[in-house]
Formats: sequence, structure tokens, C-alpha cells
Amino acid sequence: MSKVFPKGANSLPLKIVVFLGIFVTTTLASITYYVTPKYTRVGYEPIQPVPYDHSFHVNELGLDCRYCHSKVEQASHANVPASSTCMNCHSIIKTDSPLLETVRASYQSGEPVPWVRVHQVPDYVYFDHSVHVNRGISCVECHGNVNTMEVVKHVEPQSMGWCLDCHRHPEEKIRPLDQVFNLDWEHPGGEKAQLELGKQLVNSWNVNPPQSCSGCHR
Amino acid sequence: MKPLNSNPTSKAELTGPRYWRSLDDLAQSPQFLEQVEREFGPEASELSEVDRRHFFKIMAASFALGGLGFSGCRRPESHILPHSKAPEHLIPGEPLYYASSYSLRGESLPLLVETHTGRPTKIEGNGDFEGYNGGTSLKAQASVLDLYDPDRATHHKQDGSSISQSEVFDLLKKLKDGLSGNNGDRFAILTEKSSSPTRQRLKNAFQKAYPKAIWAEYEPVETDGGAKAAKLLAGPNLKPLYDFSQAERILSVDGDFLGQDPGALKFSKQFADGRRVRTSKDEMNRLYIAESNMTITGAMADHRKRLASSQMAGFLAGIALNIELGVEGDALKPIFENLSSSLLADEKTKAWIEKCADDLAHHKGKSLVYVGAQLSPEAHAIGLLINEKLGNLGETLTFVEDDSGDAVSLGELADAISGNGVETLVILGGNPVYNAPVDLDFSGLLDKVDSVVRLGYYEDETSYKAGYHILQAHYLETWGDGRTYDGAVLPQQPMILPLFDGLSEIEVLARLLGETNADGHSLVYETFQKSAASNGKRAFDKFLHDGFVSKDGYKKRHSLVSGSKLANTLEGFSQPEAPTAESLEVVFVNDAKVDDGRYNNNGWLQECPDPINKLTWDNGIIVSPRLAKELGIVAPDATIQVARKNPNRVRDGRTFAPVYKLKVGDLEVEGAVHILPGLDNYSIVLPLGYGRSKTGRVGQNSGYDAYSVRTSSSMAFATGATLEATGREFQLTNTQEHWSMEGRAIIREANLDYYSKSPDWVSHMGMESHSPPIYGKDKYMPTQEKVTTTPRGESLYEHPDHTGNHQWGMNIDLNVCTGCNACVVACQAENNIPIVGRDQVRRGREMHWIRLDRYFSSGLGKTEIPEDPQVMVQPVGCMHCETAPCEQVCPVNATVHDSEGLNTMAYNRCIGTRYCANNCPYKVRRFNFFDYQQRPLDRLYEGPLAPKGKPELLQMAQNPDVSVRMRGVMEKCTYCTQRIQQAKIDQKVEARDSDNVKVPDGTIKTACEQVCPTNAIVFGDLTDPDSRVSQLRDNELNYSVLGYLNARPRTTYLAKLRNPNPEMPDYADQPLSKLEYKQAKPKMDYGKGHGDSHDKHNGHDQDAHHDSARDEGGSH
Repeated sequence: MSKVFPKGANSLPLKIVVFLGIFVTTTLASITYYVTPKYTRVGYEPIQPVPYDHSFHVNELGLDCRYCHSKVEQASHANVPASSTCMNCHSIIKTDSPLLETVRASYQSGEPVPWVRVHQVPDYVYFDHSVHVNRGISCVECHGNVNTMEVVKHVEPQSMGWCLDCHRHPEEKIRPLDQVFNLDWEHPGGEKAQLELGKQLVNSWNVNPPQSCSGCHR
Repeated sequence: MKPLNSNPTSKAELTGPRYWRSLDDLAQSPQFLEQVEREFGPEASELSEVDRRHFFKIMAASFALGGLGFSGCRRPESHILPHSKAPEHLIPGEPLYYASSYSLRGESLPLLVETHTGRPTKIEGNGDFEGYNGGTSLKAQASVLDLYDPDRATHHKQDGSSISQSEVFDLLKKLKDGLSGNNGDRFAILTEKSSSPTRQRLKNAFQKAYPKAIWAEYEPVETDGGAKAAKLLAGPNLKPLYDFSQAERILSVDGDFLGQDPGALKFSKQFADGRRVRTSKDEMNRLYIAESNMTITGAMADHRKRLASSQMAGFLAGIALNIELGVEGDALKPIFENLSSSLLADEKTKAWIEKCADDLAHHKGKSLVYVGAQLSPEAHAIGLLINEKLGNLGETLTFVEDDSGDAVSLGELADAISGNGVETLVILGGNPVYNAPVDLDFSGLLDKVDSVVRLGYYEDETSYKAGYHILQAHYLETWGDGRTYDGAVLPQQPMILPLFDGLSEIEVLARLLGETNADGHSLVYETFQKSAASNGKRAFDKFLHDGFVSKDGYKKRHSLVSGSKLANTLEGFSQPEAPTAESLEVVFVNDAKVDDGRYNNNGWLQECPDPINKLTWDNGIIVSPRLAKELGIVAPDATIQVARKNPNRVRDGRTFAPVYKLKVGDLEVEGAVHILPGLDNYSIVLPLGYGRSKTGRVGQNSGYDAYSVRTSSSMAFATGATLEATGREFQLTNTQEHWSMEGRAIIREANLDYYSKSPDWVSHMGMESHSPPIYGKDKYMPTQEKVTTTPRGESLYEHPDHTGNHQWGMNIDLNVCTGCNACVVACQAENNIPIVGRDQVRRGREMHWIRLDRYFSSGLGKTEIPEDPQVMVQPVGCMHCETAPCEQVCPVNATVHDSEGLNTMAYNRCIGTRYCANNCPYKVRRFNFFDYQQRPLDRLYEGPLAPKGKPELLQMAQNPDVSVRMRGVMEKCTYCTQRIQQAKIDQKVEARDSDNVKVPDGTIKTACEQVCPTNAIVFGDLTDPDSRVSQLRDNELNYSVLGYLNARPRTTYLAKLRNPNPEMPDYADQPLSKLEYKQAKPKMDYGKGHGDSHDKHNGHDQDAHHDSARDEGGSH
């Protein structure tokens, strides 16, 4: 009887096992890396219809976050400014800059400027800006140093685990209320001093960030 | 392939001369159009659910996607579109509230309407307006859905083809010119009733400007018997207003003052305030009621007399005979005796009337005889006299000025039309072709009118008979005003611009008058400036902001009731013979849900179960059990109480109701018969508002049309009717089949006397006093500690602590819950709960998060036929059990507890095993068997490729604060977690760098609590010992439903009390439910003096008697 299988077939099971092992590991590894918000969201930097430069307006002109995002302390949604807000200044300065044409057109016509959304939580997540900024969580914790960005970029993963990290250890991030909109602020005493201050603030403000489903999902 | 019989589609082709293939084609009947749309003939084989073209479309899309491969995985770009110019007051993401009002039959309710970025989503009561508690009615709650009804009329039309708004204005101008030319000769207006001061002003102007024109008003549900009687007896332009706040003894004669009668919302609060009992020393009002139908008011009664509606005048006469009538008595006595003789012949009835009258007479000035709004002026006249003799005038009943002016009735208008006296008829609102008395043949009459112009919200029966259909705007789209039951003026503000160019009634009227400023705002503003409250623009702004100027309403007038005028009125009045099995009485009632038919296409209302008979989607011919037995609807050998149904009618677990033909004179109608205990034996009840021929998709084929046997002489009731079997059957959709509590203490109920003697009775009912003690040694732990530490009790398991700042709980006072169902729809509106349709409700799949369980009790074995049952209602939502049975069986942790005691649902985790629903002892979990939010209800069973999507208009009704659930997901009451979270956030924002993060009591109102007109539902924080809910939980009347299961529900109930009069012949020392409970548990002891046999049970020892308030935990 002739051989049905060549000799090389003896190593086939091992090859299959090794191949499968590598395949499964790489697949799992790539899924855990690539199919998470850490990869899919961080670094997203869409081109906006108006090349608004945050770093220029904040650092050179000294604009506060709340000049444009005016309702952030009162509402769940940190509003994107209406064209009329831009025109407060730009009806006087740079009145004929071609970069601002979209804004002027919007102001005239009533059509909104189609800003591209950078940060987006899913529909079943109910995030509230006002409660965070009023209780010592700075913009920088979720949005990064927007004050230094020429184009706004997604820098934090904003995944549920990432949210919970902070909700479990608010003392690492909480800061005095007068420093919330100062994106460059860091505790002068370093990490240890921050923890100490954080614990004290958490205690005296009775900070009890929700960790149950109902905190964010309704 | 293009269909061969391709149809012209351009407007010109449609309106121009054209050829037609059949009458259907000519008429463009829907069947024909559907056939045209179809690609193949009816018998040709088609891919089921998907047609060929759709299949290719899908395939093409899939190929395209496949080709794109991973390039399709990019994050989709989405945009943020801010305003161009920021509007004032509007904060993106935050709701805005506007004060407004909702009107029905000339009674306005004060509202606060929640709008999200310009679209109204939820109706709330205006809490600042005293007297309503911030409550609203069921119909007001649901009215917001009508705004987004995809079936509402969307175009002005002339003879079926669309016209523009300017063409409508031209039409109105033309009408106006015609009117001014001849003083309004041969011109008529038919409107609904309204209390709007602006409409009143325009009506007066109209009648003055066009003296020859006819102004007719018609409401299919008549509510002006009282006003007519007052005009007869007390003076012109008077009408009576009732006030229950001071009434300690109330006799309601065929009145549904907590349900459908005018003023019901206000009365509910007043009545409940007189019934709220917190300690065993509190007093409680007493309600006597005589009625033919079984209403929610009857369910609250302490003594209830079943009596045919036709006998009510005689009943009132009987009461009058038993009180002091003074000098006028001599003339009236024989009349009364004559009227009441047949009733008083029955000894039991006689005793009932005497003792009831006695009790009323002992509470002079603090009693009230309320006569049902639909009853005749004669009955009301006797009622007025009784109230005067009882000293109630100026106390519980006051006369006020009725300035609604003159209007002719529909009958008079019909006479004018048939005499060819009307050339142009303008119908503003209403739907007379559907709901006018049949003897008028209103539809036929309209053919005699040259030009019929109709202002209507839907293209309904009347629109089809009218040459012009003018689009009516929804009340949330237009300016207006109105007056409450008491006459306080309320504004009606638009929340959104008219979605389809609609006009309001006052705008049309103003144009007929040729007013220069004919827009709603100017009209309302002008009325306001002319009124007494006027004080310029600022006052108007305040009026809009507050939603009212003052609580003061109609001018009070002191007047006496003239006995001699009553004698004149009653001269020649005789009441029909009492009904018998051969000659039945038919009572027409305003439906609790669809009203007179105006809410026929409202899905929330159609699916909401009727408060008492629990029917949804259809109406039945409601008959008493006795009549049912005589008709043979129940099996002859069945013990009616237990197995009331004919087993032949139960197939595949579904009950089929027999269809009967009802004959009234030579009119007849067919409908499915539903048996309801508590009806007068030979009165049958026909709810109006169903069986519409021209309505939207929701109301299609719903019920039968009771108007088809209603004539002008029998608006409230007809006599001499017969029922005939047809042999056919129909499956009614009933959401509750219970008749009895089967001996369980789900509702605990006792008499007030019994309560004052044994204040701890509640803790001795139910299994808790016999099952192993729930809290063990921690029985006397304060509530605040119990809810946070969750003591282990005798359980094997350690329970986790609840560590949150608050611990939420709810308490429902069964003693003041009237069962009006407003909470059901309020919850539906707030929480984006879908409707599931008739077929799904039949399968028990309705999605309501809160339901009202209705129980009858007739004393077990007391009677063979439950003719005189007592009715109890109990709202049941998720109880948020501390040791929730549902959580333990969820394989994926989709339902878990949060730190504040809420039993939460993480929809995204749910995989739909439905174990939780199986394990829930209260049956409050609801499963999305289909994608109810996405699929049309008649296409639920189609495959995954079937078309999806919700009409855009309906999407606008959604509350953005609540997730919309998809197919395969379990859902349930969340205690309105969105409101809780929002309140907590608001509190923290306010607290900033302080530790004041506890939400004050009363800040959070769940949707059901907010809507409740009687404050029966209280929600709050159990860690705060002073919160209302903590106080109530420690009350001795507090108990947990099925507490012995050790689920430790956070929703607890206050037991129900009745206050019967020991003198009355139908007095029972215990309510019937308690008798039933006793009889069903013959071996079990309860109450005092039996502790020794149970001394090994902690939960049932003598301590309970001494310290019952703290024993609350023991009964958990």
C-alpha cells in the first residue's frame, strides 16, 4: 500500500497548532489594541470648516474657555459658539479675512457653520459638563491641553473604563474651583501634594462620583 | 418593470379631465391605489416581505459595502450645528418650560410644557396654580402625541385637492365680504364649546356685526344640565359650581366627578384632601353614590347604589322627600312622591335613601349633592333645591355668572338647514358628521348647504363632506386662552410654529370679522388688554410667564333656588319606567380615553386600559353579570364569580366575546359584549368615540360606533333597547382578568371605624405575620439605617450595603388613588415607551411601566352573581426591591443595583433571556419582543429586511433624556432615573465647593407623581427622616405588597380605608375585600387576641400591637 500522506504531514498538526496560536494571539492583540477607543478615537483630528486656532485665541489673546463655550457651567452640553459670538469681535477685526468667510456667511444667512464633531459619547451615555466643571474637574482632564492645540485633537480615549478610573479615584484629578479653566495648572507640590489636596477636597466637598450604571445611562 | 396601469402623478393631471378604468379609479380609493402600487397582481407569487426591487437594492448596497472593505470602517463624520445667532434663553441641551393651557369642552387646565430645542415633548401641570397640585388629566397628558400624529391633516384642501394658505385667506376674505353685504343672512357657524375669552369676544363681535347669521354650538357630550337648571330656578345667566373641599358628606347622583365630568381634576384634589388619613384619629369624608355605570368615582364610594340612569330624577326626589323642605315643601311633596314612588316601593332602596338623606341633613353646609353633568336639567333642578335646603349654597355649591352668551343648538341649526335657510356653513372644530344625533342625519343635511367650510385637525368624516378643509393647528402650535372650571383665565402659548401652516379657531373667526390683526398673538393680547387684569405689556408678559393672572374666576352671585319654579319645571316631567330584561336602558358615556372620538387616533390613549373595564383598542357593549347570565353569555352552570366565562369561548388561551346586536327603536348597532360587575342590572353602557369610518391608522377598525343609536332625545340614555345574539365572536383586548384577590392581602383595606379601634390592623394582614421574620433582630432599626445597611435578617445571605448619598423610595396612598390612569400615560410620555398595538396587547405584551391593577371584591361566596362589588385600584410599577429577585437570575449583570437603591437596567448588556421578568413577583418587567420603536405595528412579524424607521414627525415626540430601547431588551420603571440624575447634578452645580449635595425633599418628582391630581404618589429620599416618603413609610398604614418574599420593595403602599355609615342597610363592618381575605384564610388568625398561638413567630408577637409604627419593618 502506497503512502497516503507524505512524511512532511507528520509535522502538520504541530504547524497547525503553532499557526493557530500565532493567529489567535495576533488577532486578539490587534483587537485589544486597534478596536478600542484608545486607538480608534485618540488622535482624531478632523479638518474644521473654519480653521479656528485655540492656542492663538487662548494664549495670545487671553480668551477664557467660557467666552465661547458659554453654557458649560450651566448645561450638560458645552455649547459650540453661535456665529454671532465670533462676530462680536470679527465684525471689527479681520473683517475681510477669507478664512472667516464661512462665519460671515453663516451670520448673514442664518445657516449654521457645520463644525465637525471631535468628541462624541454614544447616545446612551448622558454626560454632563456643568457638574464636572463646577466640582473641580478641569476641561483638560477629558479634552487635553486644547489651549495649545492649533487644530483640536482627540487626546483621551473617553471609554467607559477611562471614565470609571477617574470616578473611582477623583482625588487624582480634582482641583480648586478657581483653577478649573486654567488648563496649564498643575499642583505646584507635585503628584503627592495633588493626592493630598484631592483627598481633602473630596472629603470636604462630599464628592461621591457615581459608579453605578444609573450615573450615566438613563 | 413599470406597472402597466401607471397612474398620473402630477397635480395638473390629477385635477384635470382624465379617463378612469373603474369607479375605484375615479374615486382614487385606497384599495385601488394600493393595487396600482403593486408590481404584480394579487395572485402572482412574490418574495414574501421583500419585493424584487427592494431585494436588488439591498444586494447592491451590500456589494458596494463589500467593495469598500475596510475603508468603510472610518469613523463617520458628524457635525455640530450651532445657531447662527444665539436665541435668548435657549441653552442647548436644556429643556425650556412654558406656561400654557389645555382645553376640553370649555374647561382649561393650567399647564407647564416641556420643550426640547423647540419641540414640546411633555405636558406637566402648572404647579404654581393652586387647586390642581400640578396635576393633569389623562387626556391632557396624551394630547402632545396628537401634535406629532403622522395621520394629521397636512394641507388645506378644496374639494380634495391641496390649496395654499393664501388661498385660504382669500376664501375667508370672500366669506367676510359676503357676510358684510347681507348682515350674515343664510350664513351659519357651528363650533364647539369654549371658555376662551378671546373667542367670546370674537363671538360677541360676530353676532353684533352679522345679526342674521346663526351661531350654533354643539358638544356630543352634554355637560350643561346644571347650567340649564340654574337658569330655570335661580336666575338668568347663572351656573352652579361645585366645591368638594369643605364637603364632609357627598352624594353623587350618576356623576363621575373624579373621572369624566367637567372640573374632575380639581374635584379629585379636593376630594382626596378630604380623604387623606394619616392617624387613626383623622376624619374622612363619606361618599354616597348612585349610578348605572361603574365609574372610577363609584370605585371610591363608601356606599354605592346601582340604579338606572333614567331613574335618577326619582332618586333625587326620594332624597328631597327625606329632608326639610320648609314652606315650599307642600307644593313639591306630591310631585316628588309621584316621581319617586316606584323607587321607594322597594324597602331596601327606601331605607338606603332615608339613611343617606339623614346623614346629609346632619351635615348642613358641609354636605354636597352632586348631579352628573350629563343628566337632565330636571334632575339638576331637584339637586339644586336639595343643596339649598341642606344649606350648601355658598358653601359647597355657588352660583356664578355664566357669560358664554347665546348660541343655538345643533337641532335648531339642523332645522334652519332643512328649511333651506343656510347657504354657507362654517364648521369650526368638532366632527358633527360622525357624532351628531342620528335622527338629524347631519351628513345628509350638509348636502343642502351650498358651501361648507370646515376647520379641522384631521381629515375626518366631516371634512369629507365639506368643500373646503382648512387645516387646524394644534393647541401647542397656536396662541389662545381659556378659563378653568372656576373661570380663572389662562394663556395658551405656542411651543412651536404650526408644523403645517394650520390656523386656529380664533384666527379664522377674526378673518371672518375682517380684523386687521388677525394673528393669534394680537387677538389674545387685545383680549387681555380689554380685560380687568389689564395693565399694559408688562402685565401680559407676567400673565404668560406665570400662566395665570389670579385664581379668581367667574363672578359669584348670591341667589336662591325657587321652589315654585321647580314645581313649574317638573310639571309634565315624568321619568321612564325602570328598565327590565326586555326593555333595556342604554347609557352613552364619554369614553375615558378617546373622549367623544377626538382622540381616536391617539395611540397612547387607545392602548391605555380603561380605568375600570380595562379594555384597550376597542369598546365593548358593557353589560351587568346578571344580564349576561340571562342572555346566556356565561355558562349556565358556572359559578359566575370564579369561572364566569363560557368555556366554549376560550380557545388557544384567548377569550372571545360574543357579538350582539343592540336595537334601540329602529336603530341598531353591533358590538362585542363585555361583562362588568357593578353595573345596574338592566343598563348597558356604550362608550362613545369608537367605530370611526375616517380616521388615522391607529384608530382604524377600533370598536363600534355608539353614536349610530343615539338620537337628540336620548343624548345621555335611551330606553327600550334589546340585545340579540349574532352568533359571531370578537376578541376584545383586555389587560386585566382578575376578579378577586384570591384571599391575598395585596390590597389592604378596612373601615375607618375599625382603624380607629385597632390602629395596627395593617401589620396583621398578609403573610408577613406568619412567615419567618424579615428583619429578625433588626426589626426595630430605624428606616434610615435599614435602607443603607440592608440588615441580613434571617436570610442565609449577606446583603450589600447601599452607600449612596440618598436612598430612593416611593409611597403610594391607596386611599386617595382614584385610578384615573393619568400616571400610565405620563410615564409613557416621559420614558419613550412605545405602543405595541392591539394584537400584541392580546398577547400580554403591553409596555406600560406603571399599570393600575383593578380588583373587584364582592365578599367571597356572599353572592352568586357579583352585583355589588367594591372596586380597588392599585398602581404597580417596579418596586425597586432591595434584595431584588430579578438581579439574581440575570446571567449578564444587565440588571443591577446602584448605590442609591435603584434597581437599574443596563440596556446594552441585556441579551433578552427574560429570566428577570419570570422571577419578578410583581410582574413589572416589560420585554421588547419586537422593534416597536422602529416598525409599523402591522408589520412587526416581517423579516429583518422589512422596512424600518419611525415617521419623522413621531420621532419629534421622543424625550431626549431617555434612551430608546431596541428589540430584545428588557425594560421597566426606573423611578425616572433621568429626573433623579438631573436633580443631583443641579444640586451639585449649586453646591460647588460645599458639601451640600443632598437633594432637598420634593425637588424630584417622578412623572407619575407629578401628574397625580390627588398626590397619591410620593417619591423621595429615605435617608432623610423628615422627607415625606420616610414619614409615610413609618406610618402605621404602610405595608409592602407580598412583603413576606423578603424582596424588601422600596415602593410601599398606604392601606385603603372606607368610611361607611353604620346606619345604612348595605353597611358591612368590614370592606368586602377583607371579608374575602378572612374567608379564604379560615385557618389563619389576624388581628388581636391570637398572639399566643403564634408566639414563636417574632413578626407576629404582641410587640406588634404596642409599637405598630415601628413594626413596619416586621411586615416587610
